Amino acid sequence: MSLLALSDVSKRFGGVNALADVSFAVEQGDVLGIIGPNGAGKTTLLNCISGLYHLDTGDIRWESASIRGLAPHRIARLGIGRTFQIVRPFPSMTVRENTAMGALFGRPGARLQPGAALSEADTVLDVVGLGEKRHYPVLRLTVPDRKRLEVARALAMRPRLLLLDEVMAGLNQVEIEQALEMVRRVRDSGVTIVLIEHVMKVIVGVCKRALVLNFGRILVEGPPADVLKDRRVIEAYLGQRYAREQERKET
Amino acid sequence: MIAREDRLPPRLRRSIFAVTMVALAYVILAPLTSIDAAQQAGLPLLTDKVWFRIVTTVLMFVVLASAWNIVGGLTGYASFGNIAFFGLGAYTVGALVANRGWPFGLALLVAPIVPALFALVIGLPLLRLRGHYFAVATLGVGVATGEVVNNVGPLGASTGLFLPIVRSDLLFFYLMLAAAGLAVLTTWVILRTRFGYGLLAIRENEEAAAVIGVNTNFYKVAAFCIAAALSGIAGGIFAQWNSFINQELVFAVSDNVQMILMAVLGGAGTALGPVAGAVVLELIIQTLAGGGSGSVYSQIGLGILLAVCVIFIPRGVIDFFGGRSKLSLRYFRQTLRETSA
Repeated sequence: MSLLALSDVSKRFGGVNALADVSFAVEQGDVLGIIGPNGAGKTTLLNCISGLYHLDTGDIRWESASIRGLAPHRIARLGIGRTFQIVRPFPSMTVRENTAMGALFGRPGARLQPGAALSEADTVLDVVGLGEKRHYPVLRLTVPDRKRLEVARALAMRPRLLLLDEVMAGLNQVEIEQALEMVRRVRDSGVTIVLIEHVMKVIVGVCKRALVLNFGRILVEGPPADVLKDRRVIEAYLGQRYAREQERKET
Repeated sequence: MIAREDRLPPRLRRSIFAVTMVALAYVILAPLTSIDAAQQAGLPLLTDKVWFRIVTTVLMFVVLASAWNIVGGLTGYASFGNIAFFGLGAYTVGALVANRGWPFGLALLVAPIVPALFALVIGLPLLRLRGHYFAVATLGVGVATGEVVNNVGPLGASTGLFLPIVRSDLLFFYLMLAAAGLAVLTTWVILRTRFGYGLLAIRENEEAAAVIGVNTNFYKVAAFCIAAALSGIAGGIFAQWNSFINQELVFAVSDNVQMILMAVLGGAGTALGPVAGAVVLELIIQTLAGGGSGSVYSQIGLGILLAVCVIFIPRGVIDFFGGRSKLSLRYFRQTLRETSA
């Protein structure tokens, strides 16, 4: 039984097919990378899973029970945490308070009181490397730190599945290494991860499988190294001419 | 953890606390000098009819501004329809006492229920709207509710409702004081519970709140209902206090603007901000108006004040007490940039 399974998921915006018959499954312990050119439907896919968008057709199953049409907070409490590509902190709160909100509301079982949520936040902040900045107001954080905070807030929910939407975008090489290290720690703690990424080093570095979206459809799915060499993927990213030239060079 | 008052430096907090306690003791005890026994004992009369009228009105606005703050300040939904809750509370008491002959005390218990149910019904569709759409929609509901009430025969239609007169300044003063205390206490408690953090999360970023597990629709509607119940209590007390109500008196949009102004001026999102705003502003209004033609100027003045406050001190005067911001030209330039972006 898969942890999460999508079958024939479609989502239209007016005349645009943002997602068309997308089907795939995520197993417990998986690290699945989703790549694809801008506008391919990657973020739409995450929004459908986390319940922010309603599906037009198809179904999403969490441990074989359908979660289609559930409100976002119900899906969150099932154990699905997510981050946003454009970070969405709670601006009037400190780093610690932001993180505590995840523990306060996202836990599937027992309800935490604010005090317990705050100490929970401290533990999580150490995992993502924000421990020393816990009392900062979020507006003082740099971009990489704000991305870490997104992850911390989601982790405080103790999710079983974590959806990461481009947590590495806009980071420099050193910061990417640090973020990679963070993702590995999360993976090793037993959390299943689905991540959207443009940085190929990340896909190759942590993902067990990769899936390429293009114009809302799944183009290729498989081990990251194979996927990145696939002619259709190169075409989607760089155009047909470039793909032909590459093939000529290799032969 | 998030309430702004907690961030005040301790020395300032102590002195504010002392001043508040003295003012509170005066307000609670001074009316007692109007009791016959006190007068016979030769105590000076500290409170006359005018004092009671002004202070009870101030307390009424403490309730209304605090209630508005729960929706507008904590949850971030600027409601221009809260006056409908006040009006419905007033008409609930009015109809039960004047038409059905209920005792006032019993009718007052129903006063919060009717507006809260109304908030539940209109909250479900209205709270799906955001920003100025929500503001305009609630304004419409507020005005429409008044117009409907104005055309219902049993509610006195355009004549209004007359309640049997109860002559006791003391009773209405203490009732309103209790309501104000309840409103502030409610806010204070909300700010320290899971529920309050949920509301703040919705204010700060609603989608982020939803995906970390906040039941946003339930929280928003609950906040709306709590605000409605509190406003309804104030309306119910007002109906019997004034012994006459009509649409113009209890469904005045200008009163809704006033409660917003009080909350924003004092510091929206805090427990004590709306109280400070209500006290200061209502005293100014009472001084400016003094009845008669003065009220026109006070209306104009209030409109200008609201615009200036929203543009230049969007976080309220309480922002200056946190040690984070200083009152300076630079502050105004910065907030101007923030609010005009």
